[in-house]
Amino acid sequence: MTSVRARPSLTSLLVLVASATTSRLPADEIDFVDDVQPVFAKHCTACHGPQAQESGLRLDDRALLLRGGDSGEPAVVLGKPARSYLLRVVAGKDDLKMPPEGKPLSPEEVGVIHDWIRQGAKMPAELSGQPTKSKGSDHWSFQPLAATPPPRPRHAFVSGGNPVDAFVLRGLVERGLEPSPRADRRTRVRRLYLVMHGLPPTRAEINEFLNDDRPDAWARLVDRVLASPRYGERWAQHWFDVVRFGETHGFETNRERPNAWPYRDYVIRSLNEDEPYDQFVREQLAGDALGEPVGTGFLVAGPYDLVKGGGNLAAVQRMNELDDMINTTGTAFLGLTLGCARCHNHKFDPVTQTDYYAVQAVFAGVQHGDARLPVSPETQTRITSLDREIGKLAERLSRFEVGARTTSDSDRTKAPPVNPRHNVETFQPVRARFVRFVIEETSRSQPCIDELEVFAGDENVAAASRGARATASGSLAGYAIHELAHVNDGKYGNAHSWICDKPTGWVQIELPETKTIDRIEWARDREGRYSDRLPVRYRIDVAVQPDKWRTVASSADHRPRAQAADRPSEPEYDFTGLPKAEAAQGRSWLNRLQAARAERAAIAKTGPAYVGRFTQPGETHRLFRGEPDQKREVVAPNAVVALGTLDLKPRALEQRRRIALANWIADDCNPLTARVVVNRLWQHHFGEGLVDTPSDFGANGTRPTHPELLDWLAGRLIAENWSLKSVHRLILTSSTWQQASRPSPRGTEVDGATRLLWRFPPRRLEAEAIRDSMLAVSGVLDQRMGGPGFSGFEVQRENVRHFFPKKTYGPEDWRRMVYMTKVRQEQESVFGAFDCPDGGQGVAKRSRSTTPLQALNLFNSTFVVEQSELFARRLADEVPESDVARAALAYELAFGRPAAADEASAALSFANEHGWPALCRALLNANEFVFVP
Amino acid sequence: MSAPLPRRDQPTRRRFLGDMAAGLGGIALASLLDADGLLAGEDESSPIRPVIDPAQPYAPRVPHFAARAKNVLVVFCSGACSQIDTFDYKPELVQRHDQPLPGGENLRTFQSVQGNLQRSPWTFRPRGECGKMITDLVPRIGALADDLCFVHSLTSKTNTHGPGENFVSTGNILDGFPSMGAWVTYALGSENRELPAYVAIPDPRGTPQSSVNNWGAGFLPAAYQGTDFNAARPIRNLARPTAVGEPTDRATRLFLDRLNTRFNDRYPGDTELAARVASYQLAARMQLSVPAVSDLSTEPKSTFALYGADDAENPLMAAFARNCILARRLIERGVRFVQLFNGAYQTGGEGVSNWDGHKKLAEQYAKHGPILDQPVSGLLTDLKQRGLLEETLVVWCTEFGRMPTFQKGASGRDHNPRGFTCWLAGAGVKAPFSYGATDEFGYEAVENVRTVHDLHATILHLLGLDHRRLTFYHNGLERRLTDVHGHVIHEVVS
Repeated sequence: MTSVRARPSLTSLLVLVASATTSRLPADEIDFVDDVQPVFAKHCTACHGPQAQESGLRLDDRALLLRGGDSGEPAVVLGKPARSYLLRVVAGKDDLKMPPEGKPLSPEEVGVIHDWIRQGAKMPAELSGQPTKSKGSDHWSFQPLAATPPPRPRHAFVSGGNPVDAFVLRGLVERGLEPSPRADRRTRVRRLYLVMHGLPPTRAEINEFLNDDRPDAWARLVDRVLASPRYGERWAQHWFDVVRFGETHGFETNRERPNAWPYRDYVIRSLNEDEPYDQFVREQLAGDALGEPVGTGFLVAGPYDLVKGGGNLAAVQRMNELDDMINTTGTAFLGLTLGCARCHNHKFDPVTQTDYYAVQAVFAGVQHGDARLPVSPETQTRITSLDREIGKLAERLSRFEVGARTTSDSDRTKAPPVNPRHNVETFQPVRARFVRFVIEETSRSQPCIDELEVFAGDENVAAASRGARATASGSLAGYAIHELAHVNDGKYGNAHSWICDKPTGWVQIELPETKTIDRIEWARDREGRYSDRLPVRYRIDVAVQPDKWRTVASSADHRPRAQAADRPSEPEYDFTGLPKAEAAQGRSWLNRLQAARAERAAIAKTGPAYVGRFTQPGETHRLFRGEPDQKREVVAPNAVVALGTLDLKPRALEQRRRIALANWIADDCNPLTARVVVNRLWQHHFGEGLVDTPSDFGANGTRPTHPELLDWLAGRLIAENWSLKSVHRLILTSSTWQQASRPSPRGTEVDGATRLLWRFPPRRLEAEAIRDSMLAVSGVLDQRMGGPGFSGFEVQRENVRHFFPKKTYGPEDWRRMVYMTKVRQEQESVFGAFDCPDGGQGVAKRSRSTTPLQALNLFNSTFVVEQSELFARRLADEVPESDVARAALAYELAFGRPAAADEASAALSFANEHGWPALCRALLNANEFVFVP
Repeated sequence: MSAPLPRRDQPTRRRFLGDMAAGLGGIALASLLDADGLLAGEDESSPIRPVIDPAQPYAPRVPHFAARAKNVLVVFCSGACSQIDTFDYKPELVQRHDQPLPGGENLRTFQSVQGNLQRSPWTFRPRGECGKMITDLVPRIGALADDLCFVHSLTSKTNTHGPGENFVSTGNILDGFPSMGAWVTYALGSENRELPAYVAIPDPRGTPQSSVNNWGAGFLPAAYQGTDFNAARPIRNLARPTAVGEPTDRATRLFLDRLNTRFNDRYPGDTELAARVASYQLAARMQLSVPAVSDLSTEPKSTFALYGADDAENPLMAAFARNCILARRLIERGVRFVQLFNGAYQTGGEGVSNWDGHKKLAEQYAKHGPILDQPVSGLLTDLKQRGLLEETLVVWCTEFGRMPTFQKGASGRDHNPRGFTCWLAGAGVKAPFSYGATDEFGYEAVENVRTVHDLHATILHLLGLDHRRLTFYHNGLERRLTDVHGHVIHEVVS
């Protein structure tokens, strides 16, 4: 499309230039002042000179010329006229034509500029310019943290000595505002649990605080709340918004991403353990190098297009994948909109197009996909030692196996049941030229064998590499990975396996010569991923002459398959009828064996996780206008140069690139990282950050309302070894946080948005907290943590996935919403309407809308109606009499406060007339229920 | 407002504390322009962010300048409806039938390499008084040619359905951006206080490829998301729960109101709390109004006959026709933006339930043509006879075009983002008119080449909105429907 036309034709340019310069000897020295400046003055200077710099370009400063304007393209490449953007646009050889209006430059004028560039674009010393200071690098957020000591006003508000209050009070006083009084205990405890856990406090939790008259009761409560695992579940959700976490791929197929949840658990765990934030950052960029490989789930948490276009479109798709990583890294950690520099220099911030591609080079080797997580070296050592112990114990225990003492049991002599992973057929040595595996029945569909091995002693004589030849009754057509040749290609696993064309059939190996064989080994999938297509009734025939078959082994030689058919069955042990001491010994071995097996299973469990795959990338180029076919110079991996550099070579090792970037971002001296994260914490406490553009700390974002406070908090974070909980503690124990939320006329008038915090700003809970709170109040909340999520949808599994809202709910749906599989593009049918992000883009701040669909969902949905009924049942369980005590309990559970006498009696009479579920439905829809007070 | 504190996004409820008294009962027009916008009025590129009272997000708001159209009705053909077989007449393609596409030897499009040029299986004939050449696939739409304004030179950035739908519906090929309807309702609110401001009507066969992303709110407030329902499938959770009797339901609302009134007294003047109360009231009205608007039984027989909604022979057409009647009823009631989908992916990809005719185009389009033709022509005719076309802009579009060739070894056309057709009708649109052109085969736009951004800019323009100034601040950018692109196609404006 346009890109093709945009490419200037080098030859035509040279032809044009050659004809234009005939009047000039090649050796003529161009003088800038005499020859070039007049041309610029005539055509260019009005827009690109001292008065105006359209598109950020200025032609009277050599350093700026070499850098170029906003396009990111150097205007002049010394000695290379054809590669100089300036020449291309004035010669009319680019999409962009300069000057845009009026007469174009004459061929002679173009020739002057051409020769001037070729000769090195010399300019008088006074125009040589400074090595450019980046635009915007004096912006506040790029400066080191200011260490402003907290003010020390005299005011009851700051009597707790918390510097947060001192800074806030100063802001209030400047506007003639007074802080609000401390909120009552009930309000504070409810607010605390809702903000920090996304769940209301239980009656016991409320009472514990109400009855705690120690002076530090609040600080103790804060500690209890921070120590609860509910904290990590609540605050991880905020992070998932920022990093566009989702568990489907998005785009048109929107297929499931079933192994994304380990990253979700990792974030929750990290927050609960108060992992230092700098480490949390490092692990998300380069956890594979830091012993926390799940962390890089961050890089690939975004959408991924499974449908690949061809040619240029594929390149654009790849650029978009990387753009998603670059942009999310920039906004999430740095509050920098790096993505804006993809096509041209950043319009507001000191991010050049080269910077963008330098960061792209950091991620250039990151591919979307699952990886099987490695076990740590310590774990591996432990596994080896456990294996040794398990082997020894199993051997010792063998004499207690059921049947071991009863020789009459014919099964005892048989081989283990046929299983998908590995089967051995042993028989008396026999001479054979042909070995035929005849399948009479499978566990499901056409049989599959990944490798058929025939042994003469220790030698597999069936290998194709030794000259053996495979034939079969038929092979499944159309699958390269299941062709016949795979049955003896020496490779294991489903990807190198033979599948028969029919449910029964045979595969035969012809040995290069007659051999004496005594053993055959085969499997469905030695890698253990597939267990279908397993031959379960079969025989193995051998022959020296064709068609003189003799059966040497069959499925009848194996013990029958157990119910859980595809797993090798464990032997059973029998300790009865033995001398006491011997039985005790046996039991103790068995206990130990089971414990060792359990431990092994637990520590070796490293399923696949969607954490990306890393490969060494090729070179990264800057792309003119961000178009993949407009490659410019090679760019080495780097940070944003105005803020720091990584000192990496263009071909630096892939992992080192990410480590270097991670270390730069997580450095104590990076001015952005700590500011950005303490601002996010502040935002989720007060509904709005000190900077209300939480993912943009650049020039286009807003300035903080309390700059010194922001810096002071950021400094404290670093000083406390990046402990997020320490910042929470500071905020939560402040008078600011504990204020009442009632509006005052004066506050409303001066600061309607409550940015100065003359009160605690009340607000509606988010979707997740509303849902979780309902489950908590109705008494059915399942607090199980971690592992695969539950689904909010019924999924129609076509190539393109379709998600239909669930129609019925049960206990499996009663976990916290953070464990609901996050489907991109689809809203959960009840709570999604409460501004849930759709996972397509990072969302730093949810909108907080109020819509009739929310009302319909909360008032009419099956989910809420069911919860109302469960709530009513709980009330009836706890207060069997349908009386005023039950109504009081309903209020206490829903709102965390006792009902006033008239409220309780009104509720009772309503419930008596319309039923308790109706009362509960009203309570769960009430403003008081869904608001942080 | 005496607090010039830094803030970036739209005003929250507390900026409206002072306006509260006027707020709730009646729907006052909050058609103020943002103070920033007013002050910067001279600067023609400064953002104009609509000032929205959170208590009344759907209150009607004034446009930037005099509007030609009040409402928009988009007919979206999912699957990429071929311009070659409908509206883009190329005699040369008939001449060169079954010859190779010049320069197409090594051309590999979305799915396949190219076979030879293929004329449409349907004959083009002159239609209307203007004589516009349109095929026999859509003769009834063709008959209305005098009311239509064709843009034959649209281009897309992608040749893949999901991104293609996203691009046409949201101006961005990625997911997660606000749809055109969301932008429009964000800017203008709604004229109807009983119905959603923005309705998406999925095809009876299911949702399009990109599903809800076509009518999502992206980063705009959720209030501006399209509400999806059609004549057969109502709004989710609209109806009273079956387990709850009507008197109890009504009593519960009243009880809830009392709870809220008492609680809200603790926060005098808080509009977010008041807005929740208002939202339950609107929800209650919708519980009546949406079934009423969806109940087509009040329509006369003649309407059913006009749209083909009574056709027993072709139940798919009849079902889509009922959606078309619903669309008219919504427009009639002042719903700001209606998006009507023709074609779905749920019930069969690749041409089975949509226009994605890769392999068996003649066979598949023979089904899809009639499903589209009579209902949409009926809709246009009905809108016109009721005078609704004077204030309603109708846009027919699809994700991108198709190739003038058949795919090698198949009897259908591959995707082609290089040139495709849409048409406009109604308010502010020049008709009959054809603008732009593809090359002699209908392959690549060559005359007045236009982008989807240009189409969006034009639609906003007709609504009295400057696409460069209608913005929403998100993640460091003043976001626009048209990103940093788009030029109004003034030639199509009457």
